[in-house]
Amino acid sequence: MSSTATLTPMETKPAEHATRTAVSVNRADKIFTLSRGKKLQALAEVDLEVREGEFVAIIGPSGCGKSTVLRLAAGLDRPTNGTVEIFGAAPHELATQHRLGVAFQEHALLPWASVRSNIALPYKVAGRKVDDARVDGLIELVGLKGFEKARPKQLSGGMRQRVSIARALALSPDLLLLDEPFGALDAVTRRRMNAELARIWGEEKITTILVTHDVDEALILADRVVVMTGRPGRVRTIKNVDFPRPRDAATTRSPEFHELVDELTSLLDANDGDAA
Amino acid sequence: MTRARSIGMGIVHLWPIALLLLSWDAWVVLNGYTSTVAPRPWFVIADVFTGFADYVPSILYTLGMALGGLVGGTLIGFVGAVLVWWSAALSGVVTPAALIIRSVPITALIPIIARIVGYGDPAVLASTMLICFFPAFVFTLSGLAAIPEAGRDLFTVLGANKLQVLSRLGVLYALPNLMVSVRITAPSAVLAAMLAEFLMGTSGLGALFSQARSYMDMERSWGTALVATVVSVLVFVGAQLMERRVESRLT
Amino acid sequence: MNTPTRTSVKVAYSLAGGALLILAAQLIGQFGLAGRAWPPVMDVVSYVTTPAGASLLWRNTLVTFSSAAQGFLLGAVIAVLGAALALVVPIIRPGMDRFAAILHAVPTIALAPLLITTVGREDAPAVIAALSVGFVMFVTMASGFANTSSAHQDLFTVIGANRTRRLARLELPRAVPAFFDGLTLSAPAAILGATIGEWFGAPMGLGLVIVSAMQNYQMALLWAAAMAATIMSLLAYLVFIQLQRVAMRRFT
Ligand SMILES: Nc1ncnc2c1ncn2[C@@H]1O[C@H](COP(=O)(O)OP(=O)(O)OP(=O)(O)O)[C@@H](O)[C@H]1O
Ligand SMILES: [Mg+2]
Repeated sequence: MSSTATLTPMETKPAEHATRTAVSVNRADKIFTLSRGKKLQALAEVDLEVREGEFVAIIGPSGCGKSTVLRLAAGLDRPTNGTVEIFGAAPHELATQHRLGVAFQEHALLPWASVRSNIALPYKVAGRKVDDARVDGLIELVGLKGFEKARPKQLSGGMRQRVSIARALALSPDLLLLDEPFGALDAVTRRRMNAELARIWGEEKITTILVTHDVDEALILADRVVVMTGRPGRVRTIKNVDFPRPRDAATTRSPEFHELVDELTSLLDANDGDAA
Repeated sequence: MTRARSIGMGIVHLWPIALLLLSWDAWVVLNGYTSTVAPRPWFVIADVFTGFADYVPSILYTLGMALGGLVGGTLIGFVGAVLVWWSAALSGVVTPAALIIRSVPITALIPIIARIVGYGDPAVLASTMLICFFPAFVFTLSGLAAIPEAGRDLFTVLGANKLQVLSRLGVLYALPNLMVSVRITAPSAVLAAMLAEFLMGTSGLGALFSQARSYMDMERSWGTALVATVVSVLVFVGAQLMERRVESRLT
Repeated sequence: MNTPTRTSVKVAYSLAGGALLILAAQLIGQFGLAGRAWPPVMDVVSYVTTPAGASLLWRNTLVTFSSAAQGFLLGAVIAVLGAALALVVPIIRPGMDRFAAILHAVPTIALAPLLITTVGREDAPAVIAALSVGFVMFVTMASGFANTSSAHQDLFTVIGANRTRRLARLELPRAVPAFFDGLTLSAPAAILGATIGEWFGAPMGLGLVIVSAMQNYQMALLWAAAMAATIMSLLAYLVFIQLQRVAMRRFT
């Protein structure tokens, strides 16, 4: 175990005017039981604290347990040891109150429903009247105007991901969990979507956890970046990102930005050294 | 211990049958039916056990006809499919025939077969064979159609002739499908045999059923229904086991 | 090698094949290759065109159709409700699955005595049709419901769906292709079930006509009735296979 792995979020100062704790993961282990009684430890003693209104990005090598952390926060899985609390309550309570927005890695759109109905689904499931103006706004936001009536199989992979982001935002959730939402996008669209997400977040200040493989993306969007190590997944280090917002091309060209990118990238590489 | 447990759970999951027997009994008792109208389940079961010797010849006959038809019909279907696969011209003509045969209700087929072949064993066997023929034909053909081009190309490169492609690749792809067809048709074969026997009244469970009905012997008639159900379920379970065996062998 | 020409070649082949089959049936009948029980096709057709023959067939076809249709509706509704119940109350699921498998294997003729005492001779055809349809529908719907996608289930969990909304907005629409698969499979089963029911003393119906024509050696009538039953079954199959294709396109 590297010395930095024991760093807790507490040691790094939270960004700006901190308020309530939105997400708190305490010494969470996750052990999956595979076939024939074999066990796989996906997470080991993960600590993570996210304050209300904060944007946290999680990066780490493939298979290190990033999606598993999000599933714990969404109440889809329980930790084997340790605790997970969302706004001081059990995670699934946020879901039952329809205050949670999740964009899954495999986007999970309903194949029989149009783009519009997919985005409006959270309203219907919550038993609320669909806010047409907001749905239209979201469609415009994710750049799918003109595709309202299209069905998922008529869309490209990137377009489907954007629908799934719009759906996650539909009910203006109190907590937004994004699992590699821009994975299928080309670099140009990806940066544009990054900028849009930064803008929405700036407007609505939704507490957000974003899982990504893209270090630049993490630094453009997040207040803090959590670096995880693989097998079992641990929090290796947490970096504050203090660049002023909005972070435009000037920010990404600055030497400080590049320095941070290099540092985080080398931390990701160093994981291989740990594993060996 | 886990084995005993799983057997235990298997029995627990038969609750719908227990429920059915109890409601059958309650229905007879509450309506005050005499045994000439509707017998109680226990008397029917008792008749099956005490008079089992009377049932045995009929069971064996129906079972033989069903299995014979199943094996014969499946083989003919398999051979027919291979022939069609072999010749491109044949396959064009076969499609409409296949569509029509698939839609003929057995109840319309059996009387015609009975008239053409004459009352007796050949008519029963021909009925069960015809029922099993068609699914076997279709499933074999779709199995042969699923041989990937790459596999065929490999064999062509190796200089194999069509017979070798068939025996090496075709069997691999067609056999699992053929077993699916056997499982699907197994209960239909029993049904077809019984319908033919019932109509012609010669021998077998269908004939026993028809006789018991004309003598108003309700316990025997319901007993035959019970025995036929058990036979059919056993044939089905047997076919299912065989399908799994073949599948685990080939994959 | 574009698709339109390939389909038209297929259709041409099928038409040629159909014509060939009819010709073969005619020749077998004409030369008496299969004995007196195989009449030439033209004899059957000319029987159907006589007013008496046409009206006899038509009336009995309607009776069988209505029993089959009633049974089809009843069986499909009950089976879908049963499968949905097994989905919502998982504890009864293994029992119901096994029960359906056993019922599926029951030779329908074995149910006849039960049905004649319970529902009577006249309704037995519809009920036997309903039972045949019900088994097929239950099995296909249960497997349609079991074929869930965990990503969609997770989605409905995180947006806080309650049991009814999950059923209505995810599980039911997802099972629509399976539903039409089931209908396609059970359309012939409904007609078979209805005709079996008619063997047990129903006052009218194609099943009855077929048996009495067989016993009285009325070959033209026997063949005509068998053809009527076949055509009905074929049409039902063709209609439902089209619906199934539409459903497949719409729901996946
Ligand atoms: N339901 C499960 N059952 C068994 N093992 C699982 C399950 N879910 C995840 N795992 C295992 O847990 C580990 C972490 O998986 P996770 O999906 O969280 O990785 P990830 O960091 O999101 O990877 P990626 O970047 O590739 O999406 C993996 O080794 C995976 O095999
Ligand atoms: Mg992941």
